[in-house]
Amino acid sequence: MDEREREKWYQYHHEKYGIPLEYLKREYEEELSGGGLIDAPLEIPDKMDVLYKYTYGQQSRFFRELRENKKIYGAKCPHCGKVYCPPRAHCSLCYQRTEWMPLKGTGVIKACTVQYYTTSTFIKKLPFVCAYVQLDGTDFIMMANMEVEDVSKIKVGTKVKAVFRDERHGTITDFYFRPID
Amino acid sequence: MRRVAIVGMGTTKFKARWVDKTYFELAFDAAKMAMEDAGIDRHRIDCAVYGIYNDFFQRQYQPDAFVHDYLGLGLKPMVRVNSGGATGGSALRIGYAEVASGLYDVCLVLGVEKCNDCYNYEVRTTTPEVLRAILYTADMTYDNPAGRTAASGFGLAVIAHREKYGNPTEEQMAKISVKNHFNATKNPIAQSPQIITVEDVLKSRKIVEPFKFYDNCLYTEGASAVILASEEVAWEMTDKPVWISGLGASADYVIPGNRPNIYTFDSSRVAAKKAYAMAGITDPIKELDLAELHDAFTGTEIMAYEDCFFCEEGQGGTLVDNGTVMPDGELPVNLSGGLIGCGHAVGATGIMQTYEIALHLRQEAGERQVTNARRGLVQSIGGTLCTWTVCLVLQREG
Repeated sequence: MDEREREKWYQYHHEKYGIPLEYLKREYEEELSGGGLIDAPLEIPDKMDVLYKYTYGQQSRFFRELRENKKIYGAKCPHCGKVYCPPRAHCSLCYQRTEWMPLKGTGVIKACTVQYYTTSTFIKKLPFVCAYVQLDGTDFIMMANMEVEDVSKIKVGTKVKAVFRDERHGTITDFYFRPID
Repeated sequence: MRRVAIVGMGTTKFKARWVDKTYFELAFDAAKMAMEDAGIDRHRIDCAVYGIYNDFFQRQYQPDAFVHDYLGLGLKPMVRVNSGGATGGSALRIGYAEVASGLYDVCLVLGVEKCNDCYNYEVRTTTPEVLRAILYTADMTYDNPAGRTAASGFGLAVIAHREKYGNPTEEQMAKISVKNHFNATKNPIAQSPQIITVEDVLKSRKIVEPFKFYDNCLYTEGASAVILASEEVAWEMTDKPVWISGLGASADYVIPGNRPNIYTFDSSRVAAKKAYAMAGITDPIKELDLAELHDAFTGTEIMAYEDCFFCEEGQGGTLVDNGTVMPDGELPVNLSGGLIGCGHAVGATGIMQTYEIALHLRQEAGERQVTNARRGLVQSIGGTLCTWTVCLVLQREG
């Protein structure tokens, strides 16, 4: 490929996949300048991508309460009394419909670790705490988004409270947990 | 039920990247080796089971259809299974059922995975993008947005175990890493053969508390295959059949809030118990000659000793300290190098572990051969905090 063709190639893949031009040049300059033998393996940029208009189904109210009212709701089984959070519309053990129940938004860490490595999406957040929190009034643990200044201060038994973000989207990340001082 | 034997097997090398092969080309290599080993060609295969884990890795949904096509098995029945890290074990389980039931006489069970086409252009490496692909298997609504990884999930379990029982310690975990990397030096297909010290492990960079770099398995590309046959036809294909004498499987609640605790993996306990009962094993440490356990992390290998009843609950660490699981110990574990030393080509892993045990039972394991090995255990686990476990007891004739 001559230089003009190469520039078109970079521009095309940049627009199609959102990969910065400099990264594309770094990876493919040699190949595109004729560096690859005709029988050598050829690598190309690609991406798998699907858009959704996803329904939360019977969990919808949980996310409306987060977004509109900054409230966390659990789901209580009228039969066995177990309170689920994350909520579910049916108790999976009794097969009964659950009832919505407001929670205080406080809880306790039941298990925790610190991540020093993670996926592409979360790399800039490192290091961060990965914890299971049991919300007060529930019989469940949930994976928690934690925001703490000093990751070494988080331990099993640490009491935490939910803090709502100013900008909320109707997703589980509308709130995060902080230790109660 | 009919008896089921492994009559042929083959595996590619386990490598970080096969830039010169696609997933179906890797599958072809393993299938061809397995057919040659059994002395048969594709016409003799009655049905196939494919273990392929992650469609994002392969850059292809329903990749099984393309493997089946490439192997020239058109019009023969086929099914693909996926149960995370336990995919290989689950594929073997379904293949076993196909033959034991009498539906088919000869079944190809093939696992393949090619993860490292995933690529992060910014940091110029594959792993963060591989992890991103894996994170789609976490609950998309509640878990995925927290950015956890397989290592953090299993790390939470190891920490919980340590809090309850005081082990596995950092040193015990490091010894597993040293053992499995060393074992890999005797295995020609292994990805990560290394002579390292406990000190090297302890000094390596932190990945996720309590795991350091050397406590983790690596992501691997490769394919492994076995051919299963009914007793009637097995003897036509081999004079060294390896019988599947025990099989157990279990799937636990994926959401940990539904479990009584996270310091044991109950699916492993249920699966092991069932496999032992079927094989007539009452004292595994005495009655097994070797085991391949799913050591995605050093700490989980130690937990697996307990979950597979090699010792009492909470005593896993002692089997490291007293040498039981070392290559010259009473019950060597992961002579292949395991996931840490040989590699973790997810869909292929359980089949690679089976291949390893079968090599020993056929007395073909070369330098690492367990003298007169008669019976071995495969443990294949996968999913958040060990959702799935499949255990197989393999046994030679006589």
